[in-house]
Amino acid sequence: MSSETSTNRSSFRPWHFFVLGALFAATGAVLRSSNTTPAATILVSLAIGAAALCGLALLRTLWPLVAVDFDVESTAVSNRTRSAVEREKQLVLRSIKELEFDRAMGKVAEADFQEMTTRLRSRAISFMRQLDSDTPGYSDLIERELQSRLASQSLSAGPMDQATEAGGAECTCEVCAAVNDPDARFCKYCGASL
Amino acid sequence: MASLGSFLLLAAFVVCAYAATSSFIGGRQRSARLIESSIGAFYLLTALMTMASAVIVHAFVTENYSIRYVDRYSDSAQPLFYKLTSYWGGLDGSIMFWVFLLSVFGSIAVATNRERQRELIPYVVTVISCVQLFFLLVMVLNKDPFTTYLTQVPADGRGLNPLLQNPYMVIHPPSLYIGFVGMTIPFAFGMSALITGHLDDSWLRAVRRWTMFAWIFLSLGLTLGMIWAYEELGWGGYWGWDPVENAGLLPWFTATAFLHSVMVQERRSMLRVWNVTLVILTFFLTIFGTFMTRSGVVQSVHAFGEDPELAMMFGIFMAIILIVSFGLVIYRLPLLRARHELDSWASREAAFLLNNWILLFCAVFILFATMFPTLSEAITGERLTVGPPFFNKWMLPIGLMLLLLTGVGPLLAWRKSTLSNLGNQFLWPITVAFITGGILYALGFRVWTSGVCFVLCGFVLGTIGQEFIRGTRVRQEATGADVLTSITGIVARSHRRYGGYIIHVGIVLMFLGFAGEGYKVEEQVLLSPGQQVEVGRFVVRHEGISVRDDGQKQMITGRLRVFEEGEEIGMMYPARWFFRKHEQEPTTEVAIHRTISEDLYIVMAAFDMQDQTASFQVTVNPLVNWIWFGFGIMALGTVIALLPEQAFSFAASKIPDGAAITSLLLLVLVASAPLHAQHVESAQTVPTVPRSAIERELYHEIVCMCGTCGRKLIGECTCGTAAMMRDEVSLLVDQGKTKEDVFQHFITMYGSQEPLAMPLDQGFNRLAWLFPYLLGLSGVVGVGTVALRWSRREAIDTPLPAGISNTGDAQLLARLDDELRDLD
Repeated sequence: MSSETSTNRSSFRPWHFFVLGALFAATGAVLRSSNTTPAATILVSLAIGAAALCGLALLRTLWPLVAVDFDVESTAVSNRTRSAVEREKQLVLRSIKELEFDRAMGKVAEADFQEMTTRLRSRAISFMRQLDSDTPGYSDLIERELQSRLASQSLSAGPMDQATEAGGAECTCEVCAAVNDPDARFCKYCGASL
Repeated sequence: MASLGSFLLLAAFVVCAYAATSSFIGGRQRSARLIESSIGAFYLLTALMTMASAVIVHAFVTENYSIRYVDRYSDSAQPLFYKLTSYWGGLDGSIMFWVFLLSVFGSIAVATNRERQRELIPYVVTVISCVQLFFLLVMVLNKDPFTTYLTQVPADGRGLNPLLQNPYMVIHPPSLYIGFVGMTIPFAFGMSALITGHLDDSWLRAVRRWTMFAWIFLSLGLTLGMIWAYEELGWGGYWGWDPVENAGLLPWFTATAFLHSVMVQERRSMLRVWNVTLVILTFFLTIFGTFMTRSGVVQSVHAFGEDPELAMMFGIFMAIILIVSFGLVIYRLPLLRARHELDSWASREAAFLLNNWILLFCAVFILFATMFPTLSEAITGERLTVGPPFFNKWMLPIGLMLLLLTGVGPLLAWRKSTLSNLGNQFLWPITVAFITGGILYALGFRVWTSGVCFVLCGFVLGTIGQEFIRGTRVRQEATGADVLTSITGIVARSHRRYGGYIIHVGIVLMFLGFAGEGYKVEEQVLLSPGQQVEVGRFVVRHEGISVRDDGQKQMITGRLRVFEEGEEIGMMYPARWFFRKHEQEPTTEVAIHRTISEDLYIVMAAFDMQDQTASFQVTVNPLVNWIWFGFGIMALGTVIALLPEQAFSFAASKIPDGAAITSLLLLVLVASAPLHAQHVESAQTVPTVPRSAIERELYHEIVCMCGTCGRKLIGECTCGTAAMMRDEVSLLVDQGKTKEDVFQHFITMYGSQEPLAMPLDQGFNRLAWLFPYLLGLSGVVGVGTVALRWSRREAIDTPLPAGISNTGDAQLLARLDDELRDLD
């Protein structure tokens, strides 16, 4: 976020500065050293380019330490378990495919194939179920988190928010039953007017 | 410039230390600021190393001989190309190059995995930084390549070792380094998985490509080393079991084992501890290899020379690696339990287990045999040699076993193979093997090791061919497409599997080349102009010696006219080059006449300018070119296995029909280009002295003691000392001495067992002979107990209810089928 706000004001970004600097320095170096071999000139330019990279990387090192509004949230823990399940499922699917291929190649006995494929399929289905059931679980979790945050905010903000709380509770969409903001005129999920 | 370079290295050291600590603390405290900053520092290090590299190469190009390193490894007469590559020609520069490569690879690995492996990344940065820190420390403390002469700047450099002034030698070290350094990335991911405890298979996925990438470069490096040894060292062979060669081979074995066993973990969630162990071992062996070649603990032609201080630093570092990494493995052992059991010995898991064990055996055996002289000297004080005969004695059967497994593995099904499908699977490959054997027997090939190897090659090719044919047929049935599209289809869908098969084809071709060694013919003759010698199907006639000079070196070239079965095939020019400042060690320029079936390989061992006589070593090396060709196929297979899936769908839609057939035809046309032929004239033929069997044996059991050739067998070495020793052997044999007498004669002459290619089987040296047996035995016991424990363990995922009846499940099943279809 910080980088966005800092660069939105002007389209000049840090790396522009370093690239320009490197180009100027390299040009200067090439002009100054007139009686050297091309290889040496190229190497000097390379070194200068690397120096510009050093500068950029140094900025990249120091920026996160000193930036006031460094975006911590973006690097918060990702939903690893879900992606792990997803991967696991893909793996099982691939195994099923592989197994079918092996059977077609005559590498697995029919009985074994049946037994293994049943097991794999049921595993895949259990993963799919887990993924399916996880999805509402996640939105529930988010909803609960939101409610608790709103509640804590309203506690600190005083009685004024009471009304919004009540209004918020009432403003559900008739079509899809989604919870909308109290002042919403259209449902943010299905678009029906409220 | 020099001070700038030193400053950059110091800065790199500081930045690296910062990256290591901040990433670790950041990872512990989950501080995004610190982690981000450490990643920045990690990139900064790469930039710094790039700059330092540019500075030192610039110094080479501008001939800045005030820098010691530049002075030692280059001179002004060198072509620009070799000046650039002198960067990694010496010890200090090669360490710096190592850090540079590691920083580049590390940055790429971190940048590509930053989002996918968020938990691991901080520790990946820590681990890689720690490794870099060590090498930077070595440089900063005592191997700074930017050290300058305080006084008396030399006017010209001393020049790169002439042996290294060969195009292969220019690519060989960097490709080996890429292989070595690339192995650090899997290690870093493995370690961070251990540290964080995220031990599911995701870290494997992140490193699989890296391992393959590093592996193919390691293979490339080894192959280039072989070509270099073959063309530049001029002893007629390509692999001498030299410690430095072995150093590169050790991690190759463990990495190969890892690439195989990783499949077992992916497919069956077994071998988890084993995989982590292999990754750690591979990394450890890369460091150990570096240590071996750079600290002077072993004697070798191309080791960098003795350096006890460096040896100690490496020793400490290696101890730390072992303690920390295996400590972590033990700490995480509960998380690493296998989730499945071994169902049957006739399964692919079991084949992989066996293959892993054999590969590990290779690695440990070679490690032991390479270190044995050092060990023996430390314990008994006697110097001795463990030469090629000792290695071949073991590596030959082991290699053949591996080759057999290459053919057997793909035929076995995962989990278990029943008798009927075993029969179905093995029928054709075994038939092919028998046909190969029959043809060879009928043609009169009688060298049994090579014969077995050929038969096994036939077997493996039969297996792979069958895999491709059956796969294509299955695919054709499923999709109804034509043959070519189906082949592209199966290769695209399981590109790792079929890429792997193609790699196996490459391996088979290499083995063909190795087996050709059994039919090698070599002769050493002294020829005066006009005389000729007959070797195999070739007749070589000496026509004279010429001398030229190109400013950098003096070239003494022999002119030889070569006839093959009476037809002249052209001139060959073996030479010796005497580089300026290195006159003491002339290089051997081999003349090679290459054909698909064999190489005629001529070395000019010695010459006399006055009467124009020269002694030549003439060797016929059958099938040797298949090794290089096999590597090409291996590289192709690796590329196929490495390519992302999207590339295949693109290729499949772009390949026009018949492209494959056309290119095949072209290949055949190019390969069978007719050779130039002429008439023969008669000349005086020098009879080659037939040597007795015992003499021939002794030629391959005694090594040259000249001290510069790296303990070549006297039958192969072309130097004067070897010729003298050969004469001595002949004399002793003529006197009716037995083998033991001859050995004893040389032992008393040199005061130790060093001239023997293999240590005598007595006293402490008996250990060398016993060790492989012990190793094999313990391996069998180990694998056996592990497998037994597995097969006894209760299955964790117990059979789920077979009846899936309710509607929700039917829906899910339909979705499952959909997704399975989409996977194609």
